[in-house]
Amino acid sequence: MSEFSTEPFFEIARRLEIRGETGWVAVLTPATDSSASLDQLQTELQSVLQKPARVIQLETSTFEELREALHQPDGDAVILSGGTGLTLEKWRSLDIMRSALERKGPVILWLSPGDVAHLIEHAPNIRSFIGGSIFLAGPDRGIMTETERQERLKELSQHFGFSGAEAVRKAQARELPHEPEFVEWLVLLGRGDLL
Amino acid sequence: MVGGVGSGKTTELLLAEQWLRKQGNGLTFFYDISQETDLSSLNSGALLARFGIGLDWIVLNLGSLSRADSQAEKLGEFSREIMEFAFGKRVRRDLTSIDDRPKSIYELARDEVESHFLTENVPGKLNPPLPPLNRDIQEVRAPLEEFLAIARKAHRDVVVVFDGLDRLLDATKFWSVVHQDLRLLREMKVSVLATAPLSVLFGAGVGQSISDHFDRVHHLSVIASDPENASLRSVLDKRRGSELLTMQEADAICHFSGGVLRDLISLARDAAEEAYVSDHDSITAADVEKVVHQLGTGYLRGLGPEATKTLLKLQSSKSFKVDVPANVELLLTRRVLEYSSTDFRVHPALLSVIPRTEQKRV
Repeated sequence: MSEFSTEPFFEIARRLEIRGETGWVAVLTPATDSSASLDQLQTELQSVLQKPARVIQLETSTFEELREALHQPDGDAVILSGGTGLTLEKWRSLDIMRSALERKGPVILWLSPGDVAHLIEHAPNIRSFIGGSIFLAGPDRGIMTETERQERLKELSQHFGFSGAEAVRKAQARELPHEPEFVEWLVLLGRGDLL
Repeated sequence: MVGGVGSGKTTELLLAEQWLRKQGNGLTFFYDISQETDLSSLNSGALLARFGIGLDWIVLNLGSLSRADSQAEKLGEFSREIMEFAFGKRVRRDLTSIDDRPKSIYELARDEVESHFLTENVPGKLNPPLPPLNRDIQEVRAPLEEFLAIARKAHRDVVVVFDGLDRLLDATKFWSVVHQDLRLLREMKVSVLATAPLSVLFGAGVGQSISDHFDRVHHLSVIASDPENASLRSVLDKRRGSELLTMQEADAICHFSGGVLRDLISLARDAAEEAYVSDHDSITAADVEKVVHQLGTGYLRGLGPEATKTLLKLQSSKSFKVDVPANVELLLTRRVLEYSSTDFRVHPALLSVIPRTEQKRV
């Protein structure tokens, strides 16, 4: 069976950042520790997109509640969580109201593998918006070897034309732009506290 | 306007609205009804209610019309009726004089025995071709006609565009609003442009012809990505795709989109995104391959063995029965694309990920 691409949360957030304001993706929840992973995704989204990220439970939200929650405000990032699973009726209902789900900010569907199958089968209108942007929550590529870390630090330093120490100084002086590469640089330098 | 998901129906309707507004002298309304109401519990009358609210607002804000006090009062009354029709109202019933509580079958039987009568339905010989207009639909006619008469003093034609009705995958609900809401609008000489679900064309046992209820049915089929058809390439070029894509990669994206406009745009965007996150200077064949695989895997997920067999049979023999409900599902989920009433094909991105072992088996 073919599988979806595995992406760490940082990459998923980066993809949404590239797309600009609007963007729809679906992320398959990992088999274990789903709740901690959801927190991690929320943090990555906030850090990379530089905007708040909220989690909305799909199962318990009515049409009116969901519409209101998505549009007040409508510019932040929203994670629509399918929880332990949604009924087929709920999927059909969500699909019918797709236009009401459209908003300025990005929408991330956080779904179990079973729910992804239901999304594809019973919500063709939402699936069409997501297209091929269905990802498996993967391990953070931050778990790299020391050699890989050093190599990447060297690349970043060469690309931007200044050293890691200079990057830290700029971050402390709030002179470092909020670009994903600088976020990555500071994290690799162990200075995620400066973000 | 009938077409599959992502075929560009909304874009067409928006262009139509824009064109209509440019013609002057017309009054055009555009509603995506799925944004306005929960379509899963759509009631007949919902379209009339939305149109009524819009018309009411326009008429009451027509500054050029001077009205006598008596007319203003009458309009106020009609406006209230439309709002109540849309949002409901509270009514007070005198329970001491009206016994309209539902009766049990025992009470009904007792009434009949005590009164020495029996109630039964005797069907007539002439069945009406369409169900009669509901009483509440008939009641909203007077206020709508009053507002229309005023609007027509300033605007010659009134047109209402309803988007979102294609989401009603169950065609029964679509027909119920056609028989009630759209019928009344036609009787009131209001022109309507609406989307319809694909199932009204292919649904088995629907037994109703959409062309009987609309003056014109426009089927927005997918666009063939044949070399002589440059339409898909022009969509990419308009979005400056040629700046990042070689001719070969652009052709691959056109081909694997199957001619579904939304898939075409998302494949091109995803390929560019893939190239960016992979630190490629331009979109490579590997980037395109990866995003095609992602899209195809999406279509493949949840596909049962029987459906896979149907798809592979379609691919090898070109035969596809549109009156089989399971096959209609394949059309609705875009796994099968309709290029014409006799030309059906498996979505190319899906076909590319169906395991070769399965393909050899058929």
